[in-house]
Amino acid sequence: MLLRLWNYLHGYVIIIVEGFFVEKFINICMHRQIKLWDIRAQRKGLMTMRMNVKSFKLIRPIARKARCKVRLLKKNGLPFVVNKYRRRKAFFVGAVLFFVLLYILTSFIWSVEITGNEKLQTSELEASLAQNGIGTGVLKYSIDTDRAVSNMMIGIEELSWISIVVRGTKVKVDVRERIEMPTIVPRHIPCDIVAVKDGIIKRIVATEGFEAAGEGDTVQRGQVLISGSIPLKDEKKEHRLVHAMGTVTARTWYEEEAPVILSQTQRIRTGKVINDHSLILFSWELDILQRKNKFADYTVIESRKKLSLGENMVFPIEWVSVKYIEEKLIEATINEEDAKGAAVQAAMEKLSEKIPDTAEIISKNVNYVSDDKKGLIAKVTIECIEDIGRSKQIGGN
Amino acid sequence: MAKANKESVSKGIREKLTEMLELPKESVLDIPKLTIAGNKDMIIENYKGLLEFDSAGIRLGTGMGTIKIRGSGLLIKEMTCDDIVICGAIHSLEFPIVG
Repeated sequence: MLLRLWNYLHGYVIIIVEGFFVEKFINICMHRQIKLWDIRAQRKGLMTMRMNVKSFKLIRPIARKARCKVRLLKKNGLPFVVNKYRRRKAFFVGAVLFFVLLYILTSFIWSVEITGNEKLQTSELEASLAQNGIGTGVLKYSIDTDRAVSNMMIGIEELSWISIVVRGTKVKVDVRERIEMPTIVPRHIPCDIVAVKDGIIKRIVATEGFEAAGEGDTVQRGQVLISGSIPLKDEKKEHRLVHAMGTVTARTWYEEEAPVILSQTQRIRTGKVINDHSLILFSWELDILQRKNKFADYTVIESRKKLSLGENMVFPIEWVSVKYIEEKLIEATINEEDAKGAAVQAAMEKLSEKIPDTAEIISKNVNYVSDDKKGLIAKVTIECIEDIGRSKQIGGN
Repeated sequence: MAKANKESVSKGIREKLTEMLELPKESVLDIPKLTIAGNKDMIIENYKGLLEFDSAGIRLGTGMGTIKIRGSGLLIKEMTCDDIVICGAIHSLEFPIVG
């Protein structure tokens, strides 16, 4: 394989040797250090063989000596190909231009991929990246990822970790958000344990401090549950301040409502579709088909395809196809049971955001209330058992 | 006659010497080295000259005489002054009778 490539790069010729004693021709070639390959006997006294271009110039006297006729059958290899195209300047200019353009185009950043953000807005991160000189259309050699990482870590409070990597024409940004730390009162500072939310105390265990509320008491948010100031049994009514500790579990209630929707507009596709295509070069949009949407009710499906080589080499050429699908709106009534189920589902979804993960759900109650304005409303009440205690520095917040 | 005798004696000594010293025989004794992979590829090193070649047979001149190779679809894949690579279906190989 390698030898064949070598021969191709150097160029070789296929020749036909004809004569009464072709073997003699071959032997003389060997004597004069001329390498031959692919020697085939076509018939008696006629052989084809291959040799280097340089050797070909030397064989005329050999042929005469061996009394053979030599004909050139084919010239193969890169030198001949290059020779053939030597006069075609535009071809070479084009080839060079291709590589130059490829190099230039791959020197820019054409896409920024942000992953890992949940609460942080992508646009916010993009703006911050842009301040540090990272964005689409920026020369990739000008990017200082280390500086951008440190600037963004300082600039964006919610970030706990960020990585910025330049891969081909793409910038990959991966972030991790900071989980908010609970305020911890240092052990040596006196504190109370207060209620985080309203509830009825189920169990209260104070390992340090004085129980300010008892089991079965209804407490409100902010109320002191375990006091860190223990009254001393003397006349001066002095208090000893301690760092209160303990657990307070309470029954808490969460309520959420959702309307029961009995009728729903359904969208049914009529089957009529308009396809529009456009091409985006850099930021310049070329609308190829120039078709406009004529439908009153419709949905739009847009798909964007970026030209890329593999995953990381993205080019600034984008093909956008937009599909307008016509729809008919049909009012449909829903079975009351299903509608109620859907309303409860919706209310539960809202509740699941409010209820902390550590809370234990002990009962669920659903009420349907009819309202003059809104119609039927599903009210879902959930009873939980959870820890409502939180340390609070005495005199502080 | 005496000279020929002397020559054969010296040859016998040389052979024994190369065997003793474990030298490559083909270069010291001027005999060909044949390497065959199955019946397809054959490499012959240290040959003297090509005597006859067509797709059904090859006759090679070597230091020990003429070697005949019979087969079908034979071709010389590569040929330099030291070695020759033969391709094709090899049917038989014939060596000269050396006393």
